[in-house]
Amino acid sequence: MSADLSSVGRVVSTSRDDAGFRSLADQLRAWSDDRLARLLAARLDLTTPAPHDVGHLASRAAVRASISRALDTLTLLELSVLDALVVAGQTTAEDVRTIVHAEPAAVDAALDRLEDLALAWHAVAGLRPLTGVADAMGTGPGVSGLQPRSPEPPPADLVEQRVAELSPRARAMLEHVVSEGGEATTAGSRHTLLPEEASTPAEELLARRLLVPRGSGSRVHAPGEVGLALRGGRTTYDAVDAVPEVATAERGARLVDSAASGAAFEAVRHVELLLELWGTDPPGVLRSGGLGVRDLKAAATLLQVDEPVAALLVEVASAAGLLGSRADAEGDPVWVPTDAFDAWTDAPPAERWLRLVRAWLDMPRLPALVGSRDQSGKGLNPLVPELGSPWIVETRHDVLEALSRLPAGEVLAAGTGLPSLVDHVAWHRPRRPASRADHVAWTVREAGLLGVLGLDGAPAATRALLAGDDAVAVLAPLLPEPVDHVLVQADLTAVAPGPLEAGLARRLALVADVESRGGATTYRFSSSSVRRALDVGWSGAEVHAFLASVSRTPVPQPLTYLVDDAVRTYGTVRIGAAEAFLRADDETALSELLHHPRAGSLGLRRIAPTVLVSTVPVDVLLDRLRELGSAPVLEAADGTVQVVRPDALRARTPRERRPLGAAAASDTARVAQVVTAVRAGDRAATSRPSAASASSSGGPALTPSGALTALREAVETGTTVVIGYVDAHGTVADRMVDPLGVADGSLRAHDHRSDDERSFAVHRIRSVRVVEG
Amino acid sequence: MTDGPLIVQSDKTLLLEIDHDAADDCRKAIAPFAELERSPEHVHTYRLTPLGLWNARAAGHDAEQVVDTLLTFSRYPVPHALLVDVAETMARYGRLRLDKHPTHGLVLTTNDRPVLEEVLRAKKVQGMLGDRIDADTVAVHPSERGNLKQALLKIGWPAEDYAGYVDGEAHAIALDETEWQLRSYQREAAESFWHGGSGVVVLPCGAGKTLVGAAAMAHAQATTLILVTNTVSARQWKDELVRRTSLTEDEIGEYSGAVKEVRPVTIATYQVLTTRRKGAYPHLDLLNARDWGLIVYDEVHLLPAPIFRMTADLQARRRIGLTATLVREDGREGDVFSLIGPKRYDAPWKDIESQGYIAPADCVEVRVTLPDSDRLVYATAEPEERYRLAACTPQKVKVVRDLVDRHAGQPTLVIGQYIEQLDELAAKLDAPVIKGDTSVKERQRLFDAFRSGEIGLLVVSKVANFSIDLPSAEVAIQVSGSFGSRQEEAQRLGRLLRPKSEGKSAHFYTVVSRDTVDADFAQNRQRFLAEQGYAYRIVDAEELGGLSA
Repeated sequence: MSADLSSVGRVVSTSRDDAGFRSLADQLRAWSDDRLARLLAARLDLTTPAPHDVGHLASRAAVRASISRALDTLTLLELSVLDALVVAGQTTAEDVRTIVHAEPAAVDAALDRLEDLALAWHAVAGLRPLTGVADAMGTGPGVSGLQPRSPEPPPADLVEQRVAELSPRARAMLEHVVSEGGEATTAGSRHTLLPEEASTPAEELLARRLLVPRGSGSRVHAPGEVGLALRGGRTTYDAVDAVPEVATAERGARLVDSAASGAAFEAVRHVELLLELWGTDPPGVLRSGGLGVRDLKAAATLLQVDEPVAALLVEVASAAGLLGSRADAEGDPVWVPTDAFDAWTDAPPAERWLRLVRAWLDMPRLPALVGSRDQSGKGLNPLVPELGSPWIVETRHDVLEALSRLPAGEVLAAGTGLPSLVDHVAWHRPRRPASRADHVAWTVREAGLLGVLGLDGAPAATRALLAGDDAVAVLAPLLPEPVDHVLVQADLTAVAPGPLEAGLARRLALVADVESRGGATTYRFSSSSVRRALDVGWSGAEVHAFLASVSRTPVPQPLTYLVDDAVRTYGTVRIGAAEAFLRADDETALSELLHHPRAGSLGLRRIAPTVLVSTVPVDVLLDRLRELGSAPVLEAADGTVQVVRPDALRARTPRERRPLGAAAASDTARVAQVVTAVRAGDRAATSRPSAASASSSGGPALTPSGALTALREAVETGTTVVIGYVDAHGTVADRMVDPLGVADGSLRAHDHRSDDERSFAVHRIRSVRVVEG
Repeated sequence: MTDGPLIVQSDKTLLLEIDHDAADDCRKAIAPFAELERSPEHVHTYRLTPLGLWNARAAGHDAEQVVDTLLTFSRYPVPHALLVDVAETMARYGRLRLDKHPTHGLVLTTNDRPVLEEVLRAKKVQGMLGDRIDADTVAVHPSERGNLKQALLKIGWPAEDYAGYVDGEAHAIALDETEWQLRSYQREAAESFWHGGSGVVVLPCGAGKTLVGAAAMAHAQATTLILVTNTVSARQWKDELVRRTSLTEDEIGEYSGAVKEVRPVTIATYQVLTTRRKGAYPHLDLLNARDWGLIVYDEVHLLPAPIFRMTADLQARRRIGLTATLVREDGREGDVFSLIGPKRYDAPWKDIESQGYIAPADCVEVRVTLPDSDRLVYATAEPEERYRLAACTPQKVKVVRDLVDRHAGQPTLVIGQYIEQLDELAAKLDAPVIKGDTSVKERQRLFDAFRSGEIGLLVVSKVANFSIDLPSAEVAIQVSGSFGSRQEEAQRLGRLLRPKSEGKSAHFYTVVSRDTVDADFAQNRQRFLAEQGYAYRIVDAEELGGLSA
């Protein structure tokens, strides 16, 4: 940082402890690039579009929408400290430590964070909140409801003494006023009187200056110091640094891991099963873009799960890029697995799980709403755009992080666990919508279904995932290993005591019907299932050989018999496809033809003593037969019927969403770029006379953002400025004003000429000049 | 991943690999809550059902225990949804209970008010409940105790019945164990029942269910009503009780179509109780003829619907159900649970067999080929005629004769469905036949003669399916059955499963016609036995000669 920059605008160029900055912009200028980058990284909205210079940056930081976003990231403690700053006005850190009901160290940490976020800064008169913070906080969480302290408050003990002198009725009234926001109306009370003259509780309070009139009307308020006195010198009765404990029960790390990996395996298996089916039998895409109710029901039945679970799996599969849409043969859009699904299926189960879970974590959607109705009474289907919600992603992370902070094996207590978790999350992010309780409950439920939680506790794999470690390596040993054999039993079932190797599973599913799925798979043999294998060209001997090779135990006799029986009755009636057939009463003539050395290319086959068939089309066959001087007939070349398998459909993988790491890297790059730009802009600004002091009436017109920056600076510093204002007739007139706030394109300011508060349209302000002295 | 013997599937089946070292421990641990569905040679299949889980709750197991058991023995991670479902299902039991109230009589109470509210609004329980006594209690009409339990089970909130039982009229009954000993599982079964109050004991055919009933009576020490399937079975009960307990002939009455005696221990047939005359059940009074302290239901899986209705009114009396299987062809397992009681004892067939209490069986299916002329008749027959045509093919006679010859000297039963077929067989084989119109006296005589060895071959119709003890039978040849009833197959095999001298194994042949519905039905029936661990062999009639006897 160059010396000329750091000295700009600095009133007293010493350390910040004994002196402050004239404005937030000045403080930001004094910051190192690193610190500036930290601010921009924490408040990313300030980087888009990139501010011109530091003044502009400071001005943008004070915009209400941006403040609100920054407030959303604060904990209850930080909000309370900020509120204490608002109550205290300009003050010292020491003072804040006294009035916040929390450990001093915690308050210091909170102050540092607030300063890092530029929500508080060091003014000349002391530490102060950014203008606009009080408005943005409103009456939301962390707000004590106390009025700001008087500019020069009486000593605390004096206020306490006055409170102590009150009659019980007056005290009750004061407490009521303070708890209701510190403002009241006192119609009919005299405002200037001595304590002895007071005849009503209100007058008692007014006389002791515990209620102070505001302006000239009957409105009065209880200054901050009074509220503090009532609350024992603190802004709140309760400690604000006490994080609500999550109610837990001990279930043991092993059980938690095992339950979670069970769910993880199920989720992976279910997604695979469902998408495999949809590859050949895809459901249609609704006109609204979602999946139909009936298709969801069918999916739930197939997976033997409830519909909400099926909806979750469908949503997650879609978020993971495994499910997409394309047009089917008739041109109607259908939901089908993407080509990424094939690669996914080949990956080990733990990796497949990770892909699903990553997608779920960052999926800004609420699958739990499927089946409910929106405001217009329309039922919500899976995959419709209406399920989007920006908040849920952060809630998911908050919930999982809260549960990961618990010791391994600790889980949410039954009953009390969930509400306490909601409170816990609420402390960390108090400014969240009211639906948070639902969101937390959904998150816990969905996490349980996906194996991100087990028995409502965080398993090792999830902890690894959140810590950025290799979750796959943690999870993989817990998942069933593929097996290469089955147990065949006399009741014509085969049990695969684990997930089968993919090829084996496919072949077995051909010969037998799947009866029950899970960690193991039960297959049942029946004559129709065996026939299915024969249909695709297996021979009886092949079926026997296959069974003997996969069965770890001897194949039971009834099964052998079943296969033989199926083979015996199979093909009693035969159907063959032939391009042409040949009949001849002269069997010898046919035999001759069949064994003719040049008839090999005709694919001749004898199906009865007097019948031959050929695979060659009639016209070709005729010519050839003529050449050979004879005639032919046939079944399909191998004697079996070929089944036509439907093609498995695939859609294109949607364009890969930026992986988390890449997004973070690009954010970092952007922040660095903005810092450089801001610094450059700043150097440019300081090389010409400052906007606030140099532009005079009639001088060059300010850019709108330049005017805003200058005005915000004036608001921050409380300086009086002269603005060149274009009135309704187009005349430029100088107005001396005390700016009070800038919002919605207008300046709110105390106008010296009319001695009243007035609004000025910012776009009509041509110049801003600081009144010297 | 652990190396457990159990694989938990998401469709709520549990697969137990029985060759595993820990399989035995696992079986004991899951038996209380999972129902054994099939037990073929390598992998046994258990199923988690609401009834099974509620049975476990009734026996004092909680959801956490069940979940921990599954997680402990499971080889693979357990599906999350299943664990949630187990916990939720089990939590439904015990929310409601039936109690005795000092002033209001029978009351339904809850520890979860919304459940009671839900129940009060349910259509199914309308009219069974009386006044609301307080927020958590509602009066129940005493006559609706059974119906209410049935209805509550149907809407998924089974009630625990703590309203107790009447003691009944006391009557001294003791087991007379001078020449024999109650087997350990019989003793356990009777004790489990007694501690549970009411319920069902599941034991395979030939495992001595009668003695479990007798042991239960010895616990009750009260007058007892025993309901059995038919008269022959009633006589056998009587003989067995006289032989094995302190009861004398005079203390035991028979209440059947022929005799109507009401004594301290009365044995009645289902048939006489369900006889209707002019739209009324004239013999229903028997149920209240005495102050019964115990009611024994033999062959619960056959309990006819009217008896269910009557049982609904008997909820204040202790009830024990005896059966070889809880599978009911009519699917009324839930009624058995709510009206007679939860399952109190269960042991897989194979276990008892390996303990040597029932005979191992060698099951063979023999397939005959219909002659071409019959195939044409069969192909063009009406669907309802087809089974009879296929089952009664004359081809079977020759096979049956071959089989009888092969086992000459061994007591043999030929079992069939169609009377003409049986008559023909009896004529060709020169053997006596027992069918529906055979008098009870004649039946008794023939059975006695068979038991004593005077007759070596007997042709019987389905009247012999149940509860007739023919312990000496070593070979059974089944020529036709009632459309593939699995339960019938179990019963018929049961005829053979009484322990044999010198540990010989029994032979069970089924003769079926190839490529017809007969074979399809046979497959259905054989599946049941294969699932019980009895491997079937299938041979062609032509190859019968090569079969080792």
